[in-house]
Amino acid sequence: MRSRLFAAVGCMIALAGPATAPAVAQGSLEYAVKAAYLTRFVPFISWPDDVFAGAGAPLTICVLGDDVFDGRLEKAAASSKLADRAIAVRHLKGPDASASCQILFIGAGDKSLIDGTLDAMKGRPVVTVTDSGIASRGVISFVVASNRVRFDIDDALASQGGLIISSKLLGLARTVKQRGQQ
Amino acid sequence: MTGTRKWNPSVVMALVAAAMLLVAGVLMAIYEERLYSAQQVKNIREQAQILAASVTAAIVFDDRRAAQEYVEALATNPELQAAGVYDGEAHLLAGFSRGGARLPSAAPGEGTVFGPGFMDVTLRASQNGAAVGTVMLRAVTEPVERRYARYGGLILLVTMGALVIAVLSFSQNALQRRAQQLSVVNSRLQEEMEERRKTEEALRQSHKMEAVGQLSGGIAHDFNNLIMIVKGNLRLLKRRLGPDAEQAGTYIASADEALDRAAHLTQRILAFSRRQPLTPQRVNLSTLAQGLSELIRHSVGEKVEIDMQLDAQGSILCDLNQMENVILNLAINARDAMPDGGTLTVATRDVTLNAPPPDVESENFTPGAYVALSVRDTGVGMPEDVRRRAVDPFFTTKPQGKCTGLGLSMTFGFVRQSNGYLTIDSAPGKGTTMTILMPRDGEAA
Repeated sequence: MRSRLFAAVGCMIALAGPATAPAVAQGSLEYAVKAAYLTRFVPFISWPDDVFAGAGAPLTICVLGDDVFDGRLEKAAASSKLADRAIAVRHLKGPDASASCQILFIGAGDKSLIDGTLDAMKGRPVVTVTDSGIASRGVISFVVASNRVRFDIDDALASQGGLIISSKLLGLARTVKQRGQQ
Repeated sequence: MTGTRKWNPSVVMALVAAAMLLVAGVLMAIYEERLYSAQQVKNIREQAQILAASVTAAIVFDDRRAAQEYVEALATNPELQAAGVYDGEAHLLAGFSRGGARLPSAAPGEGTVFGPGFMDVTLRASQNGAAVGTVMLRAVTEPVERRYARYGGLILLVTMGALVIAVLSFSQNALQRRAQQLSVVNSRLQEEMEERRKTEEALRQSHKMEAVGQLSGGIAHDFNNLIMIVKGNLRLLKRRLGPDAEQAGTYIASADEALDRAAHLTQRILAFSRRQPLTPQRVNLSTLAQGLSELIRHSVGEKVEIDMQLDAQGSILCDLNQMENVILNLAINARDAMPDGGTLTVATRDVTLNAPPPDVESENFTPGAYVALSVRDTGVGMPEDVRRRAVDPFFTTKPQGKCTGLGLSMTFGFVRQSNGYLTIDSAPGKGTTMTILMPRDGEAA
């Protein structure tokens, strides 16, 4: 059952372009797609100008917890040509307020840790991305539906952090929580 | 109407205008064509740009369904035959095609390509300056033949219009020509009518003169006979009384004198009515006038200069004494017209007449060789109404009692009786010329 699902995803990845790593192992295809998606969100999201140290400063994608991407996120980040700045990847062992992340991926783990992190990031210019299978939800939450990796967007939460998400990306989301909704 | 007909200016103008219109129309059609083409390219490019801008996320996230939705939104435009979205690897991601068009399976190069009846507009889709894929739109264009056929119809219409204008102006000109001809004919007709009116007037005048002449001639003839009887009886009476009756002799002489005057008067009337006994003989008018020159000089006095221009060689047949009277009469009339002096010209010349002279009706006219004798003065002249009545018997402009009004009538009668013509040319202040035209005697030359 699961293997069929990921086979389909893998086909899509193969079609999706150079940023997508080719399928290496069936079990990890889901995360290959998610890694590619993480880098592809970048051109559709606007951060406030002051979150970057300078014009040439890289954009940082932080990963909380275990490295579920097994290095594929670094590869996707390195090969991405979509962003107008370099993409750096950092792995955080726990919530780190001092770390400057623009995108924070939160994988499966301790619920109190996840909720605490999401609370801490609320109102900050950080795009929190929660993995599928997690009850708590960030600005973007991955969903696996109909044999596809898709995502929901909480635009209301994004607006609290001063983030602007392109309508094009919103148009692709499975569900969108509009600005002003509670 | 046959032969080389010159092209009328207005027809040429119409044709030139039509040709210019045609050229302008063709130029405008070409311009419109370009404009239409450019406008269509612009329109399709705009649609391609909109698609490229909106479909980027769908390409990046490999969302075929979303991409298909974007593409199919364009299907409402009937101009579009096909539309395709290609990913960064140039693979077809989504698209539609209809009307037999087929989408290329790999993305074509960026740009605009024209094909038979269609054009392809291919644009790079980019997000934040980075190319993520390609979109392609294929739009139908009107086939060249159909457009040319359309313009051809227009050109045909314009040409037909120009031809109609040309034909119209041509017939307009023909009409104008006809109208001009008609007006020429009309004015000629008017002239002829006027001429005829004058001729009728002259004829009427001539009939009048004829009637007056006959009447007065008849009376004068009888009257003359009566005078002769009275005269003869007076002579017998005188003889019977003898030389003793001096007193009676005086009465008889006075009555005889009155009878002479009466006889003279009747003679004049007879002359006018062309019933006087004439003894025609061959006369050379130049010689006659020359012989009269002394007498004329005496008659007209010192104040009038006399100019004799006697060029006629031919002779005529007429009564010599009457002709002398006529010339003297005319000279005296001329003198009377010049109370303050002037020049009297007596001229003779040989002429050939092919048309009747003025105031002579054509039925009385015989063409041929004539000798003209004219007496011209530089006097007061006559207005037209006087000139017309000048030969009427008892018409005179001179004071009452000074003249009988028979001088010119007599002259006219004599001249007509001798188969000649009398013409009067005069105008107030321009003097008067009296011309006698006598047929030349065939033997003399």
